[in-house]
Amino acid sequence: MLKYLLKRLFWMIPMLIGISLISFFIMHLAPGDITTTEAGFNPKASEESRQKLRELYNLDKPVIVQYGLWLERMSKLDFGNSFASHQRPVFWQTTDENNNTKLGMIQEALPITLLINVLSMGLIILIALPLGIISALTQNRLPDRSITLFVFIGFAIPGFWLALMLMYWTGVAHHWLPISGLHSMGADKLSGFAQGLDTLKHLILPVFISAITGLAGISLFVRNGMLEVLHQDFITTAKAKGLPEGTIIFRHALRNALLPLITIFGLSIPGLIGGSVIAESIFAIPGMGKLFFDAVLMRDFPVIMGILTIGSALTLVGNLLADLSYAWADPRVRKGVMQ
Amino acid sequence: MRKVIANPLALAGLLIISLILLLALLAPWIAPYDPNAIDVKAILLPPSMQHWMGTDALGRDIWSRMLFGARISLLVGIVAVGIATSIGIVLGAVAGYYRGWVDTIMMRLVDIMLSIPTFFLILAVIAFLTPSIWNIMIVIGLTSWMGVTRLVRAEFLSLRNREFVLASQTLGAKDFRLIFIHLLPNSLTPIIVSSVLGVASAVLVESGLSFLGLGVQAPQASWGNILTDGKEYIQFAWWLSLFPGLAILITVLGYNLLGEGLRDALDPRSQ
Repeated sequence: MLKYLLKRLFWMIPMLIGISLISFFIMHLAPGDITTTEAGFNPKASEESRQKLRELYNLDKPVIVQYGLWLERMSKLDFGNSFASHQRPVFWQTTDENNNTKLGMIQEALPITLLINVLSMGLIILIALPLGIISALTQNRLPDRSITLFVFIGFAIPGFWLALMLMYWTGVAHHWLPISGLHSMGADKLSGFAQGLDTLKHLILPVFISAITGLAGISLFVRNGMLEVLHQDFITTAKAKGLPEGTIIFRHALRNALLPLITIFGLSIPGLIGGSVIAESIFAIPGMGKLFFDAVLMRDFPVIMGILTIGSALTLVGNLLADLSYAWADPRVRKGVMQ
Repeated sequence: MRKVIANPLALAGLLIISLILLLALLAPWIAPYDPNAIDVKAILLPPSMQHWMGTDALGRDIWSRMLFGARISLLVGIVAVGIATSIGIVLGAVAGYYRGWVDTIMMRLVDIMLSIPTFFLILAVIAFLTPSIWNIMIVIGLTSWMGVTRLVRAEFLSLRNREFVLASQTLGAKDFRLIFIHLLPNSLTPIIVSSVLGVASAVLVESGLSFLGLGVQAPQASWGNILTDGKEYIQFAWWLSLFPGLAILITVLGYNLLGEGLRDALDPRSQ
């Protein structure tokens, strides 16, 4: 297991270098250099801020040196300071000579996005598991057909449109739920518990929206996994032994059908992180997605590059965790890994 | 073809898409108004006989804008997938045919691209370029070829050592001939299925980008930006938000149904 872990960790190095190359390439996509694009987009961009860009990315040096310096900064997780938001550090807090601590932008935004994604993954499991199981057990009959229809609509529904409709219906028309931000006005005067409840209410819509698109895929996946397992010999054996239906479905079939879900969740991380852009900007949630979107609008390059890199690194870590849990959960893989 | 029509999913998808394609193609002839014509006397009118889907804040006819928007959405979807599929076929074919270190490099490249959150990547590229319909197509295409690459590679790997390929090779066929005459035609089914499904997700991405204001730019109509325009009037002009969303939903549904139906109909294993 340790050897497997080390091997996987080692593989992350070329991956990270690849990511650095791609992000470096994107930075140089702009016609001319990025200082002119910024000027073109924002007429107020001063010569001073252009000079700052040149310094930050060493644009006056040869390309290969630029890349080397970029790689060095990436390895130190130093993405510089934001241009737009009062020189705040992009990634992590810094303390200046007067002992004033400035919090990092990603440092503040990341926990919010992670919380939303963890909650929506929980919601996905809670809804998709029963749907998938029911669908598999009633294959080609009415419940299966209606769940499949639901799945297809779930795949096709534009998240931002659903968000808009729900926001209007639950927030504007009926005032059931708050539709923007994470806290109500004056929430800081409430007790800790009431504050938590208030935040939770603000999270209902965003979590639901980010869960709905993942939901369809996972329930289809559980259905097909269950169907495959139910046709295998050991299930027939279990039935022949006269085991009760519940035991067969939940102890024998489900456990095997669920294993690949670990990998699917690992693979869905980049989609979830990327998908946070739309949900967070609609509901004005100060997470990674909104931070990124605002940075794109303001051409705040240090923030864009920082989030791109951190988002990719998170995906790598997520995939690693998924593979490790898979190895831990599946004795076949675990044994194979150890040999 | 008969198998495709006999499959209810594929047939439903085919009908939906044909209808939308037809409407998009005929837009200049069947649209009752100029999609960009501003009419100050007809601002925010609800759906009626004159304006089937109502009008927007500038008095533009939504039905006409929807028809022209369909052209944009479908064009972006199809061109983006065309780019992605071409890249995928070339890289996948090279990786699956030559194997060895070429394959290793290609597959690592796929892994790296897959680990960058796609929507972030697309937005970042657009931040450095200017949003325009051509840039959108290219960017969506350049960020969605990984699935096809893996697929083509897997097909090639499994076909590479079949008798008919080896026989042809023994008879002196060149790499080019083997790839294009023998391997590629036999891998077409999964490529077609994934392209059809790819159009569905490209349409969704384009509408999302346009919704965020980073896609197709006004005054050119796209379903995404009709929705963005309508968002501010949602309290008293529901038709501005409802119709574009439904159009996206139905189009994406159509492509998904067709894709899944094709998979069922053409895959010998599922019969």
